[in-house]
This record gives sequence, structure tokens and C-alpha cells, in this order.
Amino acid sequence: MVKHDPHYYVKNKRYHVEVLPPKQDTAKLLADLDLFKEKYLRVIQSGYCVCITDNAMGLMAFQGHEIIEELNLPVHRDQVMIHLNTFHTKCDLDNILTSCKNLGIESLLIITGDGSDRLPKLQPSDIGEPDLESVTSVELLRYIGRNYPDTFVLGVAFNPYEPVEHEFAKMKRKIEAGASFVVTQPIIERNVQVDRLLSEHPSIPVTVEAWMSKKLSLLSEAIGYEIPQDVEYDPMATLSMLHQIYPQCGVYLSLVGFKTQFDLVKDVWI
Amino acid sequence: MITRNDIEKSNFKNVWVIAEVDRGIIQPVTLELLGSARTLANKRNCEVWVILLGHSIQHPELYAYGADVCVVIDDIRLNHFIDELEANVLTRLIKKYQPEIILCGATSRGRALIPRVAVLTYCGLTADCTQLDIDPDNGDLLQTRPAFGGNILATIRSSDHRPQIASVRPRVMKAMTLNPDRDGILIMESIDPRDEINNKKVVEVFHDTQSAINLADAEIIIAGGRGAHGKAGFELLRQLAQKVGGAVGASRAAVDSGWIPYTHQVGQTGQTVQTKIYIACGISGQIQHLVGMQSCDLIIAIDKNPDTPMMQMADIAITGDMFEILPELINEINQR
Amino acid sequence: MKIVVCIKQVPASNDAKIDPQTKRIIRDAVKSILNPFDNYALEEGVRLKEKFGGEVIALTMGPLSAEAILREAIALGVDSGILLSDRTFGGSDTWATSYVLSKAIEKIGNVDLVICGKQAVDGDTAQVGPGIAAHLNWQQATYLMEIRRTDERKILTKRLHENGYDLCEVTLPAVVTVVKGINTPRVPTLKGRLASLKSDIPIWTPVDIDANIVQLGLNGSPTRVVKTEPPAPRSSATVKIKGSPEHCAQELIHQLRLRSIL
Repeated sequence: MVKHDPHYYVKNKRYHVEVLPPKQDTAKLLADLDLFKEKYLRVIQSGYCVCITDNAMGLMAFQGHEIIEELNLPVHRDQVMIHLNTFHTKCDLDNILTSCKNLGIESLLIITGDGSDRLPKLQPSDIGEPDLESVTSVELLRYIGRNYPDTFVLGVAFNPYEPVEHEFAKMKRKIEAGASFVVTQPIIERNVQVDRLLSEHPSIPVTVEAWMSKKLSLLSEAIGYEIPQDVEYDPMATLSMLHQIYPQCGVYLSLVGFKTQFDLVKDVWI
Repeated sequence: MITRNDIEKSNFKNVWVIAEVDRGIIQPVTLELLGSARTLANKRNCEVWVILLGHSIQHPELYAYGADVCVVIDDIRLNHFIDELEANVLTRLIKKYQPEIILCGATSRGRALIPRVAVLTYCGLTADCTQLDIDPDNGDLLQTRPAFGGNILATIRSSDHRPQIASVRPRVMKAMTLNPDRDGILIMESIDPRDEINNKKVVEVFHDTQSAINLADAEIIIAGGRGAHGKAGFELLRQLAQKVGGAVGASRAAVDSGWIPYTHQVGQTGQTVQTKIYIACGISGQIQHLVGMQSCDLIIAIDKNPDTPMMQMADIAITGDMFEILPELINEINQR
Repeated sequence: MKIVVCIKQVPASNDAKIDPQTKRIIRDAVKSILNPFDNYALEEGVRLKEKFGGEVIALTMGPLSAEAILREAIALGVDSGILLSDRTFGGSDTWATSYVLSKAIEKIGNVDLVICGKQAVDGDTAQVGPGIAAHLNWQQATYLMEIRRTDERKILTKRLHENGYDLCEVTLPAVVTVVKGINTPRVPTLKGRLASLKSDIPIWTPVDIDANIVQLGLNGSPTRVVKTEPPAPRSSATVKIKGSPEHCAQELIHQLRLRSIL
């Protein structure tokens, strides 16, 4: 089987759209599942790629693959991406990977992720690297590459807000470990680290994340660094600006408003 | 069972301390409890009794530490901790001698033993008291304890029940200044056949002095989190801890990453600590961690990010890299 | 094996915010969650059942909303849940709480093992587990890192204590409390969660468990909270140090001297 090409999204102007799965502690699971299904189908019908997070920020949620199975949602090879982090038991990790394989989900975004009291951390001995101190996205990439060869297209995150040299050294290790595409943390203007990423790794497709919520404070919290927010933030204008600055990049939409924004974004990427 | 209907409050006298004895050695918490019991007894004008259950108990006569009466059961059957046996013995002694107040260490043994006794005697029990006082009008023990991770201080009474039982963590109360001139009475008791329990036994005991750092007993804790980056970071913390005679603590994130065993974890799902000094290195301060250490006297935080909750809570907040600052600190201490 | 796991709903807040004046945590406990230690108790119960067969029942006392944690327990693999909820249970201290739970365990009948988390994170007393054992007059073992079944009526337990651990043989029926580290609790699956929504959860009142009404709630509780107050503020000023590592180390030592610590 020939795997899909991450460049596809830029060539065909296909957005990545993040959809958050229902949280474990929701009091209205059935309604949340309905809403998830509605958003998922809208993204698919628009020809975009739906991206499902994995216990984002350490808050427990249901897994993308189990929701797709339970609700019988359609999977098109270029249109579903699953986030996968290092806070799973070995057994759960293999279940997720096997399910994704069976469902035909090719695209995985591999991240170290955030833990919590309730989320078990993958241990080095679990994945056959007992000499390591702890498992990060690099080791997870290697594990998947070894144990599920030629099954997935693996991507990684790039955080332009982390100490620069550290982040670029890490990026090098991620690529050596098998990463073939990159998604950045949300940026709201031209970012010199993203520029450097593009010039240092010209062959790796980069997707920049656009923050579609008006609340920049949430973004500050999500990335752990202060973002200046004295001006009113216009997500749609920012999105269009990002297309102009980074025409060679795909765009990943986080917290997109399905009522207000979703139908408008298709006119932005032209 | 003592129910509220049959108590005649005036029949209950004296303050008891349940000693913590480990392999025949009386543990420091016992002396701390005696200090607190002495203060209460002086206010109440009554005696302090200490109850010692164990085997080959060394120097059981604790008069110099404030006891007036030492009740000793020295028996091989008490060598290992059998909850039911000790609870039965204590319940019988309580009925026999009718103390007004009982203090017990909030140790793993005390916390297993004393709730059982409280139920068997239908008595009120307040865990982890940080302050104890007496209402002079009625002899009620005013027991103050933190709840909700130290965010509320509750004062608790048990007016209709006697004895009143409180547990206290190690290092919360102060032992009194040793007074070698004090004397007292020794009462030897024994296990009654009815106290015994035949179908429970301790098969093996493992004393793990290396890894089982007793955080509750430390005066200084040097703790590391995600910012310690790995085992090398904790090695650095260990060096500093050795220099200052402290223990090494950790956040959940560090424990989950396998950098240090769970016995070192401070916080909601680890241990609650109340040390003189707590040095947090590379710990951002999730609420689950903060509730486990916010009652320490002096909090020092070292972090690259000056805006974390831990840096806000700290009395001394040092912005910088622990890998650069700690070696300097060890250097400075070496030079003194 | 018939196993009862006693669980509790506790308040939780996610973000740590510090009051700049008092240096204390601002608590906005808007959510209720399963007591974190109870996850380990539930997991241990489910694992024992998976290994030896039998039944696991989750039991809680609390308001009607506590049903949520019973459904969570069912999603994790527990067979059924029972909610003890009644006005007369209100205000129970650990004595009265362990009394009610013990009466419910008697009512369930033929229980071999009761598992509790080490303690609840709101009260932090660790008294209810041993309290239940005392009410039932069963054996107990606390702070367990391991439970091994050695024969039909016996378990070997690894009890954690300050200076290490011991191995203690306990005869069933018994009550045990478990610590984090005894296992790695599973995360509920969507399938499990959806199934749990269909479970019937009976609500038991004092009549259902033949409880003595005078031993319930505030009236049955030997202790009374007579006052609550915020803890004394920590000093509001933070001494901020930055600069070269040498400077930071020297300044810290200077600060410790000022406080007569060095």
C-alpha cells in the first residue's frame, strides 16, 4: 500500500481541523458524541482532514479511534489524523495503533503530551528501551516505526516558544526517528523560529497552527508562555495573513467555531 | 462499647499517649506526643500516661519526657504490628483505666490502629491534629486540623464521648525539655487471651533504609519536578540533600517519568509534608502538588519560569537554571 | 470472590491559582471527581475478579449526584454500584460513615474482601477503612502495595510503612486499603462508559441496611466540627532572586542567614 503524501494538503488547499473528543467526565456523553459526529462529518464532507486530540492538556477524554468505531464514522485515508502521546500503558498504546491500522487511519501526530494523576506514563522498558530515562515523542516514533513498519505517516509538533536550540536539536532527533511532517504550535504572526524550521528542513512539509478562538489567554495557557494581548484578536484576519506569509505551509485550525467560522474558511485559502 | 448514654464524664481522667515502638525502639513521635500531652495535663491538672506495646522495648520509662505513668506490655506477640491484637489490647485498657484524652501518632501504624479503637469504643477521633487545647469548662479537647489539603482549618470537639482521641503527625508537636529528675509509676500489663487473634501473621519484614526516605521525618526537603529533566537532575538534588541533611522529594510528573521512586512523591497522591524548609526545583506547582507542601515553614523555589504557581507561592523565588544554581549552592555551603 | 470497593466523590479543582496576599491556594472546587486513591482500589478489585472470578460491587455514601462515580466505576469494569443516600446520613463523621458502609456490606452479604483507597483527598483521615473493619469485626490491612491470594480464605498483603514494608497474611473476610503504586488503573473506554449509562443503580436508605437510626449522620457522629477558618496566611512578600548562578546562590544563603536558618 502506498501511503498518502503529507504535501497533499498544501497542494489541494485542504485544512487540518482539530475536533476535541468528549471528555471522560462529561455529564452529557450522548449529546457530546452527537456533536462530535456532526463536526467530524462536516470536516470530512468539506474535504478537510479531521484531527482528534489525545487527552489534550492532561484532561481525560475518549480516544479518537474508539469514537470512530463506536459511531461507525467514515475514514478516508487523507482525512483523519489522530494525536498520540506518551501517556498510555503499553497495552492501550498497541490497542490504539492496531485499531488505527484496521480503520485505515494513516496519519498520526506523535507528541510527548501532558500527564495527570490518572494518565499512565509509558515506561522505557515497555517499548524495549530500558536504558532511557523517560519516553518522549522521539522514542514513541521509533517504537511505532519498528513495530508497525510501513503502516503510518508520522508527524511531530514544533514549539517555537521553547528554548530555540533545544527545540531544534529535538526536531533533528524527531526526524531521525521517523517523523515525516511537522505541525507547529499556534502562531499569530510571522515567527522567526518557524522561518528557521522551514529553511533548515526544506523537504519536510510544515503545517502551521492557526488559533481560531478570540481568546488569546487560552493560547497563553495552552503553550505556557505569555502572549501579548493588548489588541483585539481577529482569527479570520490572522488566518488569511498566515496563508500569505507561509504559502508553502498547510494550516491546522484549532478551536474553530463550527457555527460562525467553518463555512467561511474555505474562502480564505485561495 | 461506651455509648453516650452510659458515660459519666467525670469518670474519665488523664491524658494518654500511645507510644510508637518499632523493633523495640521508641520512635521520636512518642516524645513529641508526650510534650503535647504534658501541656494538656497541666491545664487539666491530671496525669500523663504512656502506653507502650511491643517486644524488647528499650528504655520504656519515659518520665523524663513528661510521663507520670508508663503502662507496658512487652510481649513477643507484639513484635510485629497486628492491628486487631493491638486494638483489642488498647480497647480493654481504655475500659479498665478510662482516660479522658488519647493521643496517637499519625504514622502508618497509628493510622491503622487508632480508627479501629475509636470504633470499638464509640469515641470521636480526629486525624492529623496540628493544635490541641482544652476547654477548661468541660474538659473538651479542642482539636484543630487542616482539611481540603490545608485550605481550611477545622476545630473539632467530641463533647458527648469519652475518651477523646486525636492523632498527630510526626514533627508537629514539640517534645519537652528533658527533665531527668521526674519520676513516675510503671505498670506492667499483659495480653489477655481474649485479645488474641490467631489467623493473622506477619511473614516477613523488609527494612529499606536506602529508598524509603521518610519524608515526614525530614527537616528539609529538596524536591524536583519535570524541570529536573531526569535522573541526573535528581542526583544533583541528592547531593544537596546530603550536604544539608535533608530528604529528596518529587512531583508526580518526575515519579511518573521513572526518575525517582513513588515513596518520594509529595502531593495529593503522595505524601503531605510540613518541613521547616522546602526547596522546589523545576516544579511548576500543580494544585495536587501544592496541597502536599503548602504548610512548610519556608518555601524556596528555583525555576526558569518566574510565573509558575510555585514561584508565586514561594517565600524565596529564584529565577534560573537549577543545573547552574545548585552546584553553586553546594559550593557555597562547602566553603562555610 | 465477592469484592466490595468503597469509593467517595470529592471536590476537585484543576488550576492552581495563588492568592498574592495570603500565598494560599485559591480553591474553586467546581467539579466533583472520584477520589484519586479510589481508582487504585477499583482497579485492584477488577483485577482480582478477572483473575479469580466472582463479582465486584462499588459502594458509596453521598448525595444523589454521587451516582456519577458509581457509573465511572462500572465503566472501569465493576459489575454494579450501590448508592447510600438519605437525609439522615448527612453530617456523618468517619465513625458514622464507616458504620453505614459496614451495614451495607452486611446487607450485600457473603462479601470476602472490601477494598478502599488509602484515604480521601478532602478529609485526608484514612479512618474509614479501618473503621469499617472494626464495625464488621473483620481483619484489616492498610497501605497495601500488593495483594496476593494464597488460598481460598487467605491473602498475603504487602504493607507499606515508614521504614520499608512487611508481608502480612490476612484471613478473609477482610478490609484492606491500597496506595498508589499497587497497580496502574485503566482508563475507561467509550464502550464501558456507554454501557455504564444503562446500569441501574439502587439507592439504599437506613431501612434498606437495617441501620440503627441513632448512630447515623450528625447525631450518630462522636465528633463535631465547631469552627472552620482559613489557615494563617503565608507571608505575602516573595523575595525574588535572579542573576548569575553565583549571585543566586550567595543571595539565597544571605536570605537564609537573615532568617537565622544558617
